[in-house]
Amino acid sequence: MRLPKPVLPFYFGPADKRLFGCYHEARIGHTRNCAVVVCQPTGHEYIYCHRALRQLAARLSDSGFPVCRFDYYGCGDSYGNAEEAGLSQWLRDISSAIAEIKIRAGVDRVCLIGLRLGAALSLITASQRDDIDSLVLWDPVVIGKVCLSGLSSLQKEALRCRPKPIRQPKSRAYIEIIGFPLPALLCAELEELNLLTIVPKATTNIFVIQSDLPADGDCLKHHLSNHQVRFEYQQVQAPRIWLPTVDGSLLVPSQILQSVVNWTCRMHA
Amino acid sequence: MREEAVNFGEFKSLVGIVANPAKQNKKHIKTAVVLLNPGIVHRVGPGRVYVKIARALASLGFVTLRFDFSGIGDSTVRHDNLRFEKSAINETRDAMDYLAKTRGIEYFILLGGCSGAEVSFETARCDTRVIGALLINFPITREEDGAANRNLIHQGAAYYYRKYALFSLRSWFNLVAGRANYRQIALSLWFEIKRWLTSRKSTFREATEFELHLRRLADRGVRLTFLCSEGDPRLEDLREAGGLGLKELCARRSIALEIIARSDHTFSSLQDQEQLMKVLLERADVIGPEEKEPANAFQVSPVAEAPKVLFHQLQSNPDCN
Repeated sequence: MRLPKPVLPFYFGPADKRLFGCYHEARIGHTRNCAVVVCQPTGHEYIYCHRALRQLAARLSDSGFPVCRFDYYGCGDSYGNAEEAGLSQWLRDISSAIAEIKIRAGVDRVCLIGLRLGAALSLITASQRDDIDSLVLWDPVVIGKVCLSGLSSLQKEALRCRPKPIRQPKSRAYIEIIGFPLPALLCAELEELNLLTIVPKATTNIFVIQSDLPADGDCLKHHLSNHQVRFEYQQVQAPRIWLPTVDGSLLVPSQILQSVVNWTCRMHA
Repeated sequence: MREEAVNFGEFKSLVGIVANPAKQNKKHIKTAVVLLNPGIVHRVGPGRVYVKIARALASLGFVTLRFDFSGIGDSTVRHDNLRFEKSAINETRDAMDYLAKTRGIEYFILLGGCSGAEVSFETARCDTRVIGALLINFPITREEDGAANRNLIHQGAAYYYRKYALFSLRSWFNLVAGRANYRQIALSLWFEIKRWLTSRKSTFREATEFELHLRRLADRGVRLTFLCSEGDPRLEDLREAGGLGLKELCARRSIALEIIARSDHTFSSLQDQEQLMKVLLERADVIGPEEKEPANAFQVSPVAEAPKVLFHQLQSNPDCN
């Protein structure tokens, strides 16, 4: 029986803002000439999606891709506090992760796979660089304002069936979403976020996969069509894994993972 | 504070983060805190609270290790069919061995939420290097199958209705105005009746087993602190299963029971997390191998009335005598 290779955990990036990463080595004998960087969602969504993204990384490495999952600054095991988080910092973090995996895997071509806000950040990154060959956007956050409004409703719902926390003066520095602070700077950046203003590079292959009809419609699909980008779109009936579940279970949507792996393998055959 | 990502265990398949204190504290120089997964959530913990706890403990001078059990988070799945109850204890001991070997640590405090609390308790029974355990929302009933999980959901809802909604004007208004979840209320009511009837049938022996374990650990000088969310139904279960033994040991200050006011099971508000951190740091700071007497530093929160119902399903660990 072949035992799965352990993942290699490591820290990288600038000394004062070290980031945590997990490197999944490509299966020996099947290595492809492209590395995958997984851009995770943030806040509570990061917690709920971790299991699925870890399994996605394992499947991709089994298919011959060296894979790096990493935590943004102020998230997960990376240095910093959630209060210091912001989109511009996270975009720099994605660039650091790309540089790191290129060195570790010894490849020049990179595929970004992003989920929710991670997908939005991936698209922005890919539009600013020339070394991103392919891009997977899994249930991307398209309009930041819509995302903020969804988070706010979720927080209200979460407070409905639990003891009310002791009232404290409202902080101006952040709002709270399911135990995570959403700092004012990040809120302001999210207000401004609109993927429909981003023009992707014509050389990047894009795969948009959605597990549900998004709150902001399929406007991203139309946007990508209008810009004559090479893209594929798929909608799969699957649970929205980034939302809290009643029993605290962490969901892994196998069909979505398989679609993402199949598409990535096809693009980098 | 400096953090280091590590692989350890027999096949180097376990992934963890060691937080090394920036300044050594003589009081805690030989003691490390090991944080165990809260259920299936990976080592970061809900609301990233494990990261905050580990860093705060490192600032007190403790070496801390937060890691994932096999098959959880970043650690690879085991292939030996060992049951989780057993493998989790083995892997916790692997973590202790790793810190002993690489950092010269001699004593350990185990910290875990939910099933992590149960593993902490069982490991403390088996390994004399453990001098303290911080047990957050300790589960008395096992949640290994779907039915138990569903029961826990109903139990949680029933507990919320009984403890909070019953005394809330807004909840009564919602009930009258047709805005309540009537199905959930009915299910919770049915569950409570069923639970009341079945728990009466539980054997006395099961409860005394848990009490016996508590007494043995206390006699060995292991500092046990149970931290319970006020809004978590496990608090009632713990008091019932702990019985008079728990009450006595708390009164003798051998064991502490702390209740985190107005918090829920996963500490899903920042304020819950702050309160939890405060208590954990206070408790951890007074645990040390040199300490002979419990002294006043180990205060106890008031414990509820004597239990009416006794039930406990922990099985004795064959590793322990």
